[in-house]
Amino acid sequence: MDSKFDREQNLKERLNFVRYYAKWVKTVPNEIWSQQQAEFIDSLFDNAKNFSLTPEKYLKTIRR
Amino acid sequence: MDIEIEAENIYLKNKVGSKLDLFVVDFINILKKYMDYVVVSGYVSILFGRSRGTEDIDLLINKIDMNTFLKFHNELIEKNYWFLNAENPIELFGMLEDELAIRVAVKDTVIPNIELKFVKSQLDRISLKEHKVAQLDMYGINISPLELQIAFKLYLGSDKDIEDAAYLYEIFGVHLSKFKIKHFMDILGVKRGDYGFEI
Repeated sequence: MDSKFDREQNLKERLNFVRYYAKWVKTVPNEIWSQQQAEFIDSLFDNAKNFSLTPEKYLKTIRR
Repeated sequence: MDIEIEAENIYLKNKVGSKLDLFVVDFINILKKYMDYVVVSGYVSILFGRSRGTEDIDLLINKIDMNTFLKFHNELIEKNYWFLNAENPIELFGMLEDELAIRVAVKDTVIPNIELKFVKSQLDRISLKEHKVAQLDMYGINISPLELQIAFKLYLGSDKDIEDAAYLYEIFGVHLSKFKIKHFMDILGVKRGDYGFEI
């Protein structure tokens, strides 16, 4: 079995989904897509409070 | 999606704001008293509906003097923000002058944070000078020209960045100048990848 990860194929599939999602966003009123988006982003936002890194450790992490 | 584009304004009415949007707007309401700014990078695609998180919001700002920075710094500290890189405002200002980014977050948090940088390149200056304004019901946010944003995302080249470019390209479609996208891609030396862009 070939377990090699095909990055290009993976990216193409992800791009297909992004375009599919964008097409859906374009077909619905702003209230609809933005409500769903806000619920998703708010959950990430709330979860960020559990992020326990200090500023120093965070800055080291993003410089890697 | 209901979008109206009129001159430099992109009207996006009835958008339900997320906590991330409120974080950005609260910060910008302080910042814009002291300097010009433009939002670049991932938050632009999120603002127009891309459904993903981000840990930082990138802002380019015009060069300001030390006194202006000190006033800005003091107001942020009074309003419960902190700087992640250093506490000393003179040190922070020195970082900006050395073309380094500084990061600001709500006190005792690190994510999300705002990354601030002085403009340095010609494309940075174009972003700032030729910015668009995303006009939401209660506020406006200066954003990078979309054609430059797309070209720059392709230049950055990570999967996430290419996806952001594809999203903006799909959303804004006929409103985009392909000539401008090509122009910025040429300046940045971006090769035409096989990503399905009709550029």
